[in-house]
Amino acid sequence: MSIESSLSLFAMVAIAVPMLGSLLIVMLPRPYAKWICAFVGGIATVASVGLAATFAGNGMNAVDVTWASMGQTLVMGFIFDRMSTLLAPAFVAIGLLVVIYSFPYMSDKNKEHPDAPRRRFYVYFSTFIGAMAGLAYSSTIVGQLVFFEITGVCSWGLISYYMTPTAKKAGMKALIITHIGALGLYIGAAFLFAGTGTFALSAISQLDSGMKTVVLLLILFAAWAKSAQFPLYMWLPSAMEAPTPVSAYLHGASMVKVGVCVFARALASAGDIPEIVGWVAIIDAVVTMLFGFLMYLPQKDMKRLLAFSTIAQLAYVFFGLGLSVFGSQMAFNGAVEHIFNHAFTKTLFFLIAGSLSFTLGTRMLPKIQGLMKKYPVTGVGFAVAATAIAGVPPMSTFFSKFQIISGGFAVGATNTVIFVLVCVMVVETVATFAWFLRWMGKVLPGEPSETVAAGQPLPRAMAFVFVVLMIMVVVAGPLSSSWMG
Amino acid sequence: MDVSMLTVALLACPLVFSLIMAALPKTTSYNVFAGLNTISVAATLVLSVVTAGTMLSSGQNIDALGLWLHLDSLSSIFVLLVGIIGFITGVYSISYIKIDIEEKTMPAERTKQYYALFSLFVFTMLLVCLSNNIILTWAAVEATTLSTVFLVGIYKNKQALEASWKYAMVCTAGVAFGLFGTLLIYANAADIMPNAHEAAFLTSIMPYADQFDPMLVRLAFAFIVIGFGTKAGLFPMHTWLPDAHSQAPSPVSALLSGVLLKCAMLVIIRFYSLSIITVGDTYPRTLLLILGTLSILVAALCIFKQDDIKRRFAYSSVDNVGVVALCLGIGGPLGIAACLLHCIFHGFTKALAFCMAGNIQHIYHTRDLNKIKGVVEIAPVTAALTIIALLALAAFPPFALFISEFLTFVAGVQSGPIWVVVLVAIGLTGVYFALTGIALKSIFGKAPEGMKRHEVPALMIIPEIALAIVVMWFGIATPVAITSGVEDATSVVLNQSVEELHEAPLYRMVFSSQTKTSEVN
Repeated sequence: MSIESSLSLFAMVAIAVPMLGSLLIVMLPRPYAKWICAFVGGIATVASVGLAATFAGNGMNAVDVTWASMGQTLVMGFIFDRMSTLLAPAFVAIGLLVVIYSFPYMSDKNKEHPDAPRRRFYVYFSTFIGAMAGLAYSSTIVGQLVFFEITGVCSWGLISYYMTPTAKKAGMKALIITHIGALGLYIGAAFLFAGTGTFALSAISQLDSGMKTVVLLLILFAAWAKSAQFPLYMWLPSAMEAPTPVSAYLHGASMVKVGVCVFARALASAGDIPEIVGWVAIIDAVVTMLFGFLMYLPQKDMKRLLAFSTIAQLAYVFFGLGLSVFGSQMAFNGAVEHIFNHAFTKTLFFLIAGSLSFTLGTRMLPKIQGLMKKYPVTGVGFAVAATAIAGVPPMSTFFSKFQIISGGFAVGATNTVIFVLVCVMVVETVATFAWFLRWMGKVLPGEPSETVAAGQPLPRAMAFVFVVLMIMVVVAGPLSSSWMG
Repeated sequence: MDVSMLTVALLACPLVFSLIMAALPKTTSYNVFAGLNTISVAATLVLSVVTAGTMLSSGQNIDALGLWLHLDSLSSIFVLLVGIIGFITGVYSISYIKIDIEEKTMPAERTKQYYALFSLFVFTMLLVCLSNNIILTWAAVEATTLSTVFLVGIYKNKQALEASWKYAMVCTAGVAFGLFGTLLIYANAADIMPNAHEAAFLTSIMPYADQFDPMLVRLAFAFIVIGFGTKAGLFPMHTWLPDAHSQAPSPVSALLSGVLLKCAMLVIIRFYSLSIITVGDTYPRTLLLILGTLSILVAALCIFKQDDIKRRFAYSSVDNVGVVALCLGIGGPLGIAACLLHCIFHGFTKALAFCMAGNIQHIYHTRDLNKIKGVVEIAPVTAALTIIALLALAAFPPFALFISEFLTFVAGVQSGPIWVVVLVAIGLTGVYFALTGIALKSIFGKAPEGMKRHEVPALMIIPEIALAIVVMWFGIATPVAITSGVEDATSVVLNQSVEELHEAPLYRMVFSSQTKTSEVN
C-alpha cells in the first residue's frame, strides 16, 4: 500500500469510526453507550497514533491526499504534515481519556451533579472526537468548515447537557457566537474560490495580497470566535455550565483548539503574508491576554478561573502565530507546540476541578484547604497543572512559551512596537505565575478543611487518568518540540 | 409503451384515483380510501421516476398531447420532487389521519374529502410542472389552491377555517396578477409569432423571446413575480403562509411547504428564463434579489416570536423560498445551480420537519412550544429524528441544505453584491437560532408530570427515517444523477447549451458528472 493510502486509511478510521459509533450509541440501549464510546475513542486513538508513527517512519515528509473533488475542484482533502500529525493524536487521545474519566463522573455518585448517564452525552462526545480528527487533517477550507460546524453542534449539546435554563442559554450562546464566527469561514471560502477556483487552503498563497488579507482576516475572525478571543470570548465563561469532563475537553483539546488550528493551517499555507494580518492577530492577542489576566482576580470558582486562563493561554498561541507573519518560524512552531502542550495541561487541570466537585461537592477554592493530605494524587495533579499553566520548567508549556517569547524578541529586535508587546506578554506570564502560586499555597498544604475532610474517595478511573495526564504534561514539551523540528 | 404516453399516464394516474375516491360513498371504510390513495401515490412515484428518469438519462425532452405537456430536465427535477415526497407523505398520512379520526379531531366522514383531495393535489402539482401552455400553468396553480383550501381547513375549527379562507383569498388575488402577467406575454407573443395559435406554448414562444417588447416583458415579469410569488410565499405576499401551513394536517403541510412552494418557484423560473433573453439579466435578477433578501430578513425577524412549532417551520419556509429567489437573483450558472439544489434539498428537509411536527402534535395534542417538553423522554425515536430535522433545516453539515447554502454564499461572493451576502448571512443566523432553540426548549427538558412513554406508530416513523436518510445521504455524497440533472436544468434556465457550459471553467469545477471525475482521477 502506498504511503498516501495507508495514511488516509488511518485518517478515515480516526474520523469515521467515532461518528459511526455515535449512530450505534443512539440505536443501542443505554448501558452500552459508555463502552461503545470508549471503544471507538480507543480505535480512533490507535489510528491517529498509528498515522503519526507511519508518518514519522516515512521521514516526516508532508503528504497531500485528495479525498473528494468535484470536477477539478478539491472539495475535501487530507494533509499530513508535522502539525496535523502532532495535533490529531492529542485531540483524539485526550477525548478518550476524558471519556474514561466520565465513567465515574457521570454517575449518581457525583456529589455536585448526580446524574444518570444519558446516551446523548456519549453521542455528542464520540462525534466530537471524530470531528476533531477531521479538522486537524483537513486540507481544504470546506473540510474545515464542515468539522468546525459539527464541533459547534456537539458543544451546543454538551454545554446544555444538564438542561437547566442557564445551561440552555450557555449552549445557545456558544452555538450562535461560534456560528457567527463560522460565517467568516463561509465567506472566506467563497472569496478563495472566487479568486482561485479551488477550496484548497494551499491556494491562499496564489491570491493577490489584497484578497489574501481579506481571506486571512475572515479566517482569523472565525478562529477568534471558536478560540474565545476578545471580543468574541463571551461564550466560554458561560460554558462552565457544562459537566466538567466536557469543559475539560472543550478547553483542553477541542472547541477552543479548533480556532487556533484553523488559523495556524491558513498561515502555514499562505506563503508571504501581508503584515496587517500579523498586526491584527498580535494586538488582539495582547488585549485578550491582559483581559484574561484581569479576570483571574475576582474568580473564586475554580472552573471560572480556568476559563479565563484558557482565554489567556490561547492568546499566547495567537501571539505566536501573529509573530510568525513577521518571519519567525520559531514563534510559529512554539505556537503549534503550545496548542499541544496546553491541551494536556488544561485537561488535567479541569479534570482536577471535576474531581473536586465529584469528591467534595464544591469547586469554590476558598473552601478547599489541605488537599495534599487527604487526596495526594489530586494534590500532586493540582500542583503539576498549576505550575504547568504558569509555564515553570520542566513542564511542557515552558518550552513552547519560551519559543514564542524568544521568537518575539528575535522579531522585536528590529521592531520596537513588537518588542514592547513581547515585554507585555512576559509581564503577563509572570503575573499569572504569581497568581497560580498563590492559589496553590492556599489549597494544597496544611490540615484538610471541613469540606475536604468530608469528601468521598477518589475513583480509580480518575486517578488513572490523572497519572497519564501528569506524565504527558511533563513529556509533551520535548516530544512536541522535537516533532516540530 | 411510448414515453410520451407514460407522461400522460403520470398525469392521469392521481386524477383518476381522485375521481374514483370522489365517487365512493362517504361511509366507505377508512382502509379503502387510505389504500386507494397509497396506490395512487405509489403509481405516481413509479411513473414519475420512469418518465423523469428516461428524460434525464436520454437528454431527450418529452412532448405529449401535442404541445400541451412538456418534460425537460428542469421540470423533471420538480416532477421527481412531487413524485417522491408525494409518496412519502401519502404513506405518512395513513396512520396520521387514522389517529385523527380515532381521537375525534376529525370526523370519519371527512376521510373521503382528505384522500380524494390529496390525490387531486398531487395531480395539480404535476400539472404545474408538466404544462407547456402558459395559461394552463396559471390554471394549474389556481387548481393547487382550490384543491388544498379544503385540506387546510379540514379540521373545521375556528383557526383552520380562518387560515383556509385567508389562503384562498390571498392566493387567488395574488395569482390573478400572475394571470395578468401571463396574458401580457401571450398577447405579445401572438403579435410577433407567425403562427399565433402557438402563442400560448412556452416551447414555441422561447425561440422568439428576443423579439418581444422589452417594456411589456418587464411589466409582465413584475406581475408574474408578484403573482406566483404570492403562491411561493415571498415577502410581502407571504401573509397566508404561516396560517395555512400550520393549520393543515401535517402531511399536507409537508407537501405544501416541501413541494408546492417550489412548483410556484418553477413558474417564476420559467418566465425568468424568458425575460433574461428579452431584457437582459439585470432587471429580473435585481427584482428577485430584493424580494429574496427581504423574505430572508423578515422571516428571521418573525420566526422568534412564534410559539407554534409549525408556524416556526412555516416561517423557515419563507426564509428558504427567499434563499431560492436570492439564488435566482444572484444568477449565473452557479447561482441557478444553487437555486435548483436548494429546491430539492429543502423539499426533503422541510417534508421531514413537518412530519416530525406531526408526530409531536399527535403525542402532545398541542403545537405550543411552551407546552411541549421532554420529547426525548416520552418518544425517543421522534426526538432523535426531530433533532436531525432541526439541524438539517438549520443547514448544518453534513446535511444536504449545507451544500446548497454554501453554494449560495460562493455564488453570492462571486457575482452578487457582497453586502447582500453579509445581510443574508446574518438573517440565516437568526433562523438558525430559532430552529436550534426548539431542540433545547422542547425536545429536551422535563416531560410533563404523569405523561407516559408513547411513540407514534411505525407507519409514521418509517417514512420519516427514509427522509432523514435521504437528507443525510445527499449531504454527504450528493448522487451524480442529481448534480448532472441540475447541471442540465441550469442550462435550460440560462438558455445555453450544456456543451457551452462545460467550456466555462467555473461551471466545470463545481459540478462533476462521471466522465469528468474520471478525467481527474
